[in-house]
Amino acid sequence: MITLAKKIKEERDKKEKGNRATESPKGSRISVRDKLLTKEVTELDENVPESCKVDFKDPNVLHEFTLTVTPGEGYWKEGIFIFHVMIPEEYNIKPPHVLCETKIWHPNISENGEVCLSLLREHTLDGSGWAPTRKLKDIVWGLNSLFTDLLNFDDPLNVEASELYFKNKESFRRRVEDYIRLYASPRR
Amino acid sequence: MIFNIYSRCQSKEEASGIVKMAAENSLEEQDVNMEENTPSKEQGVQKMFTLKKWNAVAMWSWDVECDTCAICRVQVMDACLRCQSDNKQEECVVIWGECNHSFHNCCMSLWVVQNNRCPLCQQEWVVQRIGR
Repeated sequence: MITLAKKIKEERDKKEKGNRATESPKGSRISVRDKLLTKEVTELDENVPESCKVDFKDPNVLHEFTLTVTPGEGYWKEGIFIFHVMIPEEYNIKPPHVLCETKIWHPNISENGEVCLSLLREHTLDGSGWAPTRKLKDIVWGLNSLFTDLLNFDDPLNVEASELYFKNKESFRRRVEDYIRLYASPRR
Repeated sequence: MIFNIYSRCQSKEEASGIVKMAAENSLEEQDVNMEENTPSKEQGVQKMFTLKKWNAVAMWSWDVECDTCAICRVQVMDACLRCQSDNKQEECVVIWGECNHSFHNCCMSLWVVQNNRCPLCQQEWVVQRIGR
């Protein structure tokens, strides 16, 4: 009997101590994201396509990185496109935010850099949007595919770009190349 | 065959008896097959096998379709990532949907606010049961 009472008391003390240690809910929330990211970032290095490069400015900050895509084929071939990826505290319930920092002429990326990619959408009615089962590597592959397989002229964000494509493919191509020359070429 | 024998037997003696019988049966069958070439030899058959020792082996596993919570990526039978860091291991329970996918209740309650679908199969999320 005595040992049981002692054990219960010990358990209670331990619990109280634990609660005190994590008084700020915000603090523990951050650590959940970072715990998930620690695993994902290790996997990420081995799993990016050849045309992609992931850079972390600060090795201690895993929730922010840049992705450089250099497409090897398609309209945007040889251009250097930099995406800034920010992972919110609520990850992986909420999707990462992505901004294209390189000015680009693309039906699914606005000239301000907003990216239209289904898996980045927070709320969707079908299964194409964000889900906690998705990982950073899916984002990288998705952004990379915007230059090839996922390129979509029928549901454009940059309507003007899509219209130009349907009107005159040759002038669309020229415009893309102009933008690459101006904004997406290697810096000297 | 052997597994069935073991699982049905209550004691070593019973098991050894059945194995002996099985051995005799198979030898008899063999004899029938070889009848044309060799005459049956009943005396030599009796002590072909003696079972001296036997061990029962059993395996178990959780009866759930997926064992890792797709949201926090921790085994559903362990506490979720959040409860681990909040030291609330005992309160962390598992939730099953009609689709038979399971998650930590706390992980799922965060997700359904965002999108009331199973993150694994995209079906409308309907709770089947909550427990451990």
